[in-house]
Amino acid sequence: MQQTEDAQARPGQWLLVAVAWTLVGVPLLWGVFMTFQKAMLLFK
Amino acid sequence: MAGLLDRERTIARPGFNRWLVPPAALAIHLSIGQAYAYSVFKLPLTRVLGITEPAAGDWTQKQLQWIFTLFFVVLGLSAALFGRWLERVGPRKAGVVAAFCWGGGYMISALGVHLHSIWLLYLGNGVIGGTGLGLGYISPVSTLIKWFPDRRGMATGMAIMGFGGGAMIGAPLADALMKHYASATSVGVWQTFVTMGGIYFVAMLCGAFGYRLPPPGWKPFGWTAPVRQRAMITLRNVHVDRAIRTPQFWLLWLVLCMNVSAGIGVLEQASPMIQEVFSGAVSASAAAGFVGLLSLFNIGGRIFWASLSDYLGRKRTYLAFFSLGFLLYAAVPFAGKIGSVPLFVAIFCVILTMYGGGFATIPAYLADMFGTQYVGAIHGRLLTAWSTAGVLGPVLVNYIRQYQIDRGVPPADAYNVTMYVLAGLLVVGFLSNLAVKPVAERHYLAETEPAGGSGPAGRGAPQGA
Repeated sequence: MQQTEDAQARPGQWLLVAVAWTLVGVPLLWGVFMTFQKAMLLFK
Repeated sequence: MAGLLDRERTIARPGFNRWLVPPAALAIHLSIGQAYAYSVFKLPLTRVLGITEPAAGDWTQKQLQWIFTLFFVVLGLSAALFGRWLERVGPRKAGVVAAFCWGGGYMISALGVHLHSIWLLYLGNGVIGGTGLGLGYISPVSTLIKWFPDRRGMATGMAIMGFGGGAMIGAPLADALMKHYASATSVGVWQTFVTMGGIYFVAMLCGAFGYRLPPPGWKPFGWTAPVRQRAMITLRNVHVDRAIRTPQFWLLWLVLCMNVSAGIGVLEQASPMIQEVFSGAVSASAAAGFVGLLSLFNIGGRIFWASLSDYLGRKRTYLAFFSLGFLLYAAVPFAGKIGSVPLFVAIFCVILTMYGGGFATIPAYLADMFGTQYVGAIHGRLLTAWSTAGVLGPVLVNYIRQYQIDRGVPPADAYNVTMYVLAGLLVVGFLSNLAVKPVAERHYLAETEPAGGSGPAGRGAPQGA
């Protein structure tokens, strides 16, 4: 099969990437923060 | 609608940014990862009739435990059964079906709580939800591997990290929602199920519609496939039906099963274990903190070890898991004997990174051994090892502990033999991993051979991978 070099991602797509990562990153970080708070109980 | 879900409609246009695919995968994995946090519903579900305390006719914890067991047994079965279908229809359709099953399962279970029918809970969360769990879990794997031929481990590690992270979001969210909905006449569980089912359904649909497949022959900009082929990374493909007839598949099955059995057994028993080993020194709330800390290391290990495997190689990464794991499990009784809580905690934190790392690295290991074309389906079948481990690990830990206690061993020492047995499991894993060699020539699809009846599967496979 022929290999095709893909062009670099369109510049506008990086904004979309930032939005997409924020949408999944914020709840994930919230979950990590909540768990971290819980984990701190071990050291009290 | 059907056209929108077709594999052909998911082929990315030129200029598509591949970094959009991991968040799509994360949206799905963060949703289904709630399964790990299902225990948060356990106590409220035992008080559905009594509200403040269990009443006659309320469900017992033993009855509810079956939902958790069903989750992981059905996960393995659905991943194994539908893996090939997923490769044929593409990740978007599979993701949408997973969203309907996972979100719909919660809705059926909400009805089950409302009508107080345990069978509706088994059907909703356990069977239908478990099917969504399996489909959702494997849906992004081959797509990510195809988009990241240069960093397979990191790519699958990111998605599978989301599965661990899902519990971290799901547990406090469910807790907050149940508090919000609780009233004098309701524990608030069915309302929480409806809300969470709706949220997860939307999040998973967004993820499924975010999936894109690379066009045929695509490779990352500026990346060239290594000229010198590495023995443990194939450029060719083995059909899924053929793969399960190779010794490599079963060796990797054992590798995953042993790694997960040891880790899951500890994870399930972590809270009572630390309280019993350090009786009087560790409170129940500190033990809950210990469980939280293990969860953090579990998800951290998924991205850390999977990314590291891109440089170390998969076989060496698993050799590190098993050799280091063996030493650490064997050292647990020592930490208990000298009464060192920090050492005990540190040992289990490292162990849990390798438990998570084992999950996250296995898809890349499979792609290295069998090629990228059927890796989703092969991974699906390998997940039966997880189902097996989900039963084996906790059973081993609980039964050996109970046997020790019945023989008069003090609770503080009751886990010592268990740790040695778990270390023994890692020896089996070590030897299995050591025996993994490149797949025999006869198993590969010929260059001219069609995709073995799986339709367009593999058209997006990067030949340069």
